[in-house]
Amino acid sequence: MRKLWFGFLLVTVSLALVPLEAIAGQEGTAPNVKDKAQIEAAAALPSGRTGESPAAQAAPPQDVKPAGEVPAKPGALPSGRAGAAPAKKPPAIRTEPIVPAYQNIKERSAVRVFYVWLWLSIGVLLYFLRWWVQEADRVYRAKFYEPVESPRKDNPLPPLLGE
Amino acid sequence: MSARAVVNWFVDRLALKPILDYMHKKEIPQHHHTIWYYTGSSILLFLFIQIFTGILLALYYQPTLEGANASVGRIMTELPLGWLVRSIHSWSATFMIATVMIHMLAIWFTKSYRKPREVTWMTGFVLLVVSMMFGFTGYLLPWDDLSLAATKVGTNIPKAIPVVGTWVTQLLRGGDDVTGDTLTRFFIFHVCVLPLLVFAIMVIHILLVQKEGMSIPLKDEVEKKKLPWLPFWPNFILRETMIWLVLLGIVLTLSVLFAPSLDLSADLMAPAPEGVKPEWYFLFLFQTLKIFPANMGPVTGEFVAVVLILVVIMAIFFMPFLEAKPLGKRGKLVTYGGILGIIYAIAMSIWSLL
Amino acid sequence: MKLKQSLITRRNFLNSLFGGWAAAFAATFISPIVKFAWPPYKEPDEVKLLWTDYKDMKPNEVKGFAWGAKPGILKRSADGSFIAFVGVCTHLDCNVVYRPEQKKFFCACHDGWYDEEGKNIQGPPPKPLRRLDTAVEGEDFFVRKPEAKA
Repeated sequence: MRKLWFGFLLVTVSLALVPLEAIAGQEGTAPNVKDKAQIEAAAALPSGRTGESPAAQAAPPQDVKPAGEVPAKPGALPSGRAGAAPAKKPPAIRTEPIVPAYQNIKERSAVRVFYVWLWLSIGVLLYFLRWWVQEADRVYRAKFYEPVESPRKDNPLPPLLGE
Repeated sequence: MSARAVVNWFVDRLALKPILDYMHKKEIPQHHHTIWYYTGSSILLFLFIQIFTGILLALYYQPTLEGANASVGRIMTELPLGWLVRSIHSWSATFMIATVMIHMLAIWFTKSYRKPREVTWMTGFVLLVVSMMFGFTGYLLPWDDLSLAATKVGTNIPKAIPVVGTWVTQLLRGGDDVTGDTLTRFFIFHVCVLPLLVFAIMVIHILLVQKEGMSIPLKDEVEKKKLPWLPFWPNFILRETMIWLVLLGIVLTLSVLFAPSLDLSADLMAPAPEGVKPEWYFLFLFQTLKIFPANMGPVTGEFVAVVLILVVIMAIFFMPFLEAKPLGKRGKLVTYGGILGIIYAIAMSIWSLL
Repeated sequence: MKLKQSLITRRNFLNSLFGGWAAAFAATFISPIVKFAWPPYKEPDEVKLLWTDYKDMKPNEVKGFAWGAKPGILKRSADGSFIAFVGVCTHLDCNVVYRPEQKKFFCACHDGWYDEEGKNIQGPPPKPLRRLDTAVEGEDFFVRKPEAKA
């Protein structure tokens, strides 16, 4: 059984290294949804302001995105992107579908940290829960907490966990 | 003032002792079908996840024609981890309906719907229908082209029901056509009407399960075999917690890995987009409707299909009465019918995707 | 110094490990949920207006502008300079109105009065109206948060 647990942890940690996103087919670099939408939105505005939109993008968009910039573990997960301009309001009518994708390597790594943390936690909690279950089973088999009028008198003993 | 003292105070004031005693005494039989006992509580887990993420989404969602798609877009882009909340809501919906179906199939094949559990079966079937209605109403809420088209098709189907068909469609749509009114109506169905319905029927379902006790496999019941059993608290609950943790992990992983995207806002006047299809749990029904020809004698093919589907639904609903002798020939027919039904549903679903 | 008996039982230790990890696990969900349900409202640092809209204002005249989600008030003084206020009463957040004939700002909710400089003179408001800095740069008229606070 110990081998099983080590194997579980090994799989969890290696999941962090395997590019799961390649399997998922979501590449963070590909649909640069933001730029296309911005240009199209800018094209809709009067021509005098067309020059502003690409310039507005020069400002790093990360600052104004409130989508989880706190460095908590799941806090910097990939945020959805749309034609949201950093310094001005997004265009009134969206012209591109919103596809969740990574914006930078920080988000990509944060997701892998999240996976490891999630499955590691589940593994650890399951490990402890197994002990609790084994104890509860043993206590029950030993009839430790029998109340006086127990209906358990005629119960054939259930198998222990792992038997 | 320990935690135990506080808990004991509440137990005393709220008269919870009978419930706690019951939880200690409730028996879970151990046999080779025990694993299916976990499906029921898994449904509860997914329901709680849905309620929680649903409330979070409803904080920002605007159920109007103009605001729906934009508000979902806002949730996905502006709000911290809004895309994740939406993704969890979407994936947990899939899991919940899948688990309800697995639960129903487990009951079907172990024939646990037999006496005295008929009402439990019927309430359970109603819960399945309500869950699928949850999915149907929720699917429209982002108000994009595909969901609008799927809703138009879906709300058209009741028209084929004789006598009440048109009236049902008008009730669902808020008129003759799918409009902004339909969206608002579906939102209220999704967050108010259906939750109340599901809670009421679930309470009956769960109370009946407690009253009847856990069902045991047919053979063991006939042989009156004494099965070993575990107490519900704490043994079974701890095992359920383990299952819940793993399921939670799977839902979260899939939600992060395959988050749904959001298409553009629906245009009521635009032609139907290509590749219109409902959610996966409706695919087999969708395909069944498609294979019937447009005209079959004096009636439309759709009418025949809807009537057939209604007959099958009624048969499933009243199965405890139709099949009173589970070990007899009819019982075997039901089992084979179930297997055939599963193969049919899977084949139709795959066909509709091709 | 070796103790004869452990201060913590094995059972307590393991239970605490479990509880601690479970709490940490739950905490990773609490923080994002809190951030989602309590979104931060950020006031803008500055607002850009068109100078042409405001350059012809007369003394003692007042015009409104949007300061984030709050109403802003621009008042032209007798000497031609501008004062910008956040037009929200400091008592309980009602929007104030300027009474030009009395040269005072009035809050209708609880009868609060401010003078033409924004200082609270009568009624429940505890503080003067919040001031903002103004600056004209070519075609643009900027209203900004005061420098001291920035």
